[in-house]
Amino acid sequence: MTSLEIRDLGVKFESRQILSKLNLTIEAGAFAAILGPSGCGKTTLLRTIAGLITPSEGTIRFGKQLVSVSSLVLPPHKRNIGYVPQEGGLFPHLNVAENVGFALGKKISRDERQSIIESMLTLVGLSGFEKRLPQELSGGQQTRIALARALAMKPAMVLLDEPFAALDQALRAGISEEVVALLKSTNTTTVMVTHDREDALVSADVIALMRSGSVVQSGTPAEVYLKPISADVAESTGDVVTIPAVQSNEGRYFSILHHSEGLPQDGLKGELLVRPEEIRISANSTASRVTATISRINYYGHDALLELEFAGMAKLIRARVAGPMNFEVGQTVFVEHQGPIRWVSGNATRE
Amino acid sequence: MAIPLVYLVRRALDSESQTLATVVMRRKTLEIFVTTLTLTTLVVALATIIGVAMAWTLHNVALPFPNLSRALVILPIAIPSYVFTFCWISLFPELQGFWAAVFILVLSTTPFVILAALSALRRVDWSQHEVAQTLGLNTFATFFQVTLPQIRNSVTAGSLLVALYVLSDFGAVSLLGVDTFTRAISNLYRGSFDRSTAAVLALILVAISGIIISIESRTRSHSKNFRSSSRIINNPQLIRNFKSRAIASVVTLVYVLLGLAFPLTLLIIRFFSNAAVIDYSNLLRAALSTIIASLLGAFVALLLALPVGILVQQGSSLARFADKGVLVVHALPGIVMGLALVAFGSEFGWLYQTLGLLAFAYALLFMAKSVGAVRTSLSRVPQNLVDISATLGQTRSQTFRRIVLPLAAPGILSGTLLVFLAAMKELPATLMLHPTGFETLATEMWTYTSIFRFSEAAPYALALVLVAAIPTFLINRPDLVNRSDKYVSGEGDLS
Repeated sequence: MTSLEIRDLGVKFESRQILSKLNLTIEAGAFAAILGPSGCGKTTLLRTIAGLITPSEGTIRFGKQLVSVSSLVLPPHKRNIGYVPQEGGLFPHLNVAENVGFALGKKISRDERQSIIESMLTLVGLSGFEKRLPQELSGGQQTRIALARALAMKPAMVLLDEPFAALDQALRAGISEEVVALLKSTNTTTVMVTHDREDALVSADVIALMRSGSVVQSGTPAEVYLKPISADVAESTGDVVTIPAVQSNEGRYFSILHHSEGLPQDGLKGELLVRPEEIRISANSTASRVTATISRINYYGHDALLELEFAGMAKLIRARVAGPMNFEVGQTVFVEHQGPIRWVSGNATRE
Repeated sequence: MAIPLVYLVRRALDSESQTLATVVMRRKTLEIFVTTLTLTTLVVALATIIGVAMAWTLHNVALPFPNLSRALVILPIAIPSYVFTFCWISLFPELQGFWAAVFILVLSTTPFVILAALSALRRVDWSQHEVAQTLGLNTFATFFQVTLPQIRNSVTAGSLLVALYVLSDFGAVSLLGVDTFTRAISNLYRGSFDRSTAAVLALILVAISGIIISIESRTRSHSKNFRSSSRIINNPQLIRNFKSRAIASVVTLVYVLLGLAFPLTLLIIRFFSNAAVIDYSNLLRAALSTIIASLLGAFVALLLALPVGILVQQGSSLARFADKGVLVVHALPGIVMGLALVAFGSEFGWLYQTLGLLAFAYALLFMAKSVGAVRTSLSRVPQNLVDISATLGQTRSQTFRRIVLPLAAPGILSGTLLVFLAAMKELPATLMLHPTGFETLATEMWTYTSIFRFSEAAPYALALVLVAAIPTFLINRPDLVNRSDKYVSGEGDLS
């Protein structure tokens, strides 16, 4: 296992700047998720780490080894990286055993090779699949074999490119959990690219959020979820509500969630970022005297999102309620904010 | 590759400019030009229409014995045009002239279009067809608006092969007495040994081929690929209503009867009516010679095609130029290639009338098929597999050996089989270049046909068709030759 350090990385395709001034550090043995919308440069970053794309500027280090600086790039076959692309990328003309043993080379004995293949297949729970061809495997099995192939060469780092994107929703959670547990058990430094926030939050030790070719925030899942640096970043890790607010000259915050009387005229105007689950709803009066009317209920089974209409405000605000549904559309409820104050003024948040 | 072209230019320059101008401007040359162009245009148009219709039928209609039907409509490709002609004129001696040539050449060349169109149809996403129908298009409108634009490139490549085949055909037009460039060149050479005038006519033919190749190349670059999803559904819902099946079966049957059953039956009847006097040892020797020379030709073509195909795939402009040159040489009549290599061989005495020179002639003549197959097969190896191999510690050469080559090999093999097949059927260059005493099935057959001893020619013709049927069958069975088809989407193309 090795750490990864990327400094001021830039990648250009002709005149298009795909990555720009990208910085990222991942500790040895950590499981990192690169999270961002389609087209933000996630896959380009992964392929650049793998050595498949030559960057136009910046440096990449694996531990102490400089693998990419300026146009001097260590070729991919010398990087000792396990790369698992979308849908696995198994070699279709080779069976499972040949795929898993592909990178083992000729320096090891036949028995040793066999034993590594067997242990890798046991590790991914697919013993007995040696003779099968890739097209005879399900999507989840292909992903696991691709992982076994990557791990068989004892890589310094594993790169996963949206590994679960092609799987059915039903399979996805199970396979994702298995793969992540497997990689963590082998202590392999892993970088996973995904656009699925749940995948990232559940799996990763570190999440790096990407926008327009740069990492805009990185940290533990709890850090990026609870302390997003902008509304945009907050949205990429979960549902978020922005509420018009005013910061008084004394430093107090006023919003429709906190004061039913409306906002003061004086003070700094901005917004509060609130997670829907931080808004508590009650049918009976509690400490809060703020009321709202339920205009719509989106029921998801394990919880529901209520759209709340506040007097004097056109914007609807979503609140999440768990457990059995005791509310109905048109009902007036008491609303209370129970969470940190995240103040947004301009493009940045402050707590 | 430049050898035949250099030879032609040198020969043409041997004559004075006055003579050159006379040859080019004379009325006879204009007549030959018009005949050649009209014949080519008509055959290409008819073979394309019939070929696309047959391919669509085979792909979409639930015919009885679908695999057998597919194999049978392709098999006429194994029958050389001069064998076709031999069969028809031995039964109807009055069959002569332009329209007879159109009929024979359409029968001979339609399988090129069927193969290309079938291969392209297998790659079309059926879900697009279904969507078009839900949007109110009937079967015909769906074909013209959705399917045809997607198979156009492959069909054009098949039509180009038909055009080049007709331009360079010698056997059919000679036996039917149609004055095209190939016949005129042969007559000039044999009748008066006027090699300069023959070379001028051959250069005009090369120019026509070059123009046709360039037109095909332009249409190809202007068309677009249509793929809206990475996964395609390529097993259509077959049309099963009785009327459609009956019409499709009758059309297929008529084509198979005319293109395969009739000539084959005639050859078999002739064979058995003459069985007692057949020299079996000579027949076997000729069959073996045919296989050896053609195999060697296919191997040399592969050796020459591999670097060109690989470099074209890597974007080398020099290789792209060579690729176009290969196509121009492909259009050269065998007799011109024969003449050029006779001249070349006579400068190196040890080369003249050797098996090596004959194989080299086959390779030059048919390398286009091999280069096309190499190029297409390499382009279909997914780039992500190459990338993954690199990340798994493999160098570029190791990746080429372990991933690219095994995945491209079936397509490349298909191309090599096409060269093998074409070499077996080749006649004029073989007549000029075969080593003394090394008779092939084609030369033996021609020897008897040219003196109207049809019964004695029949066993050689039949043996040629049977031997040629093996590679034809393999080319048409992607499941046998092209096992990689299912994972690199698409078999060896004709283009």
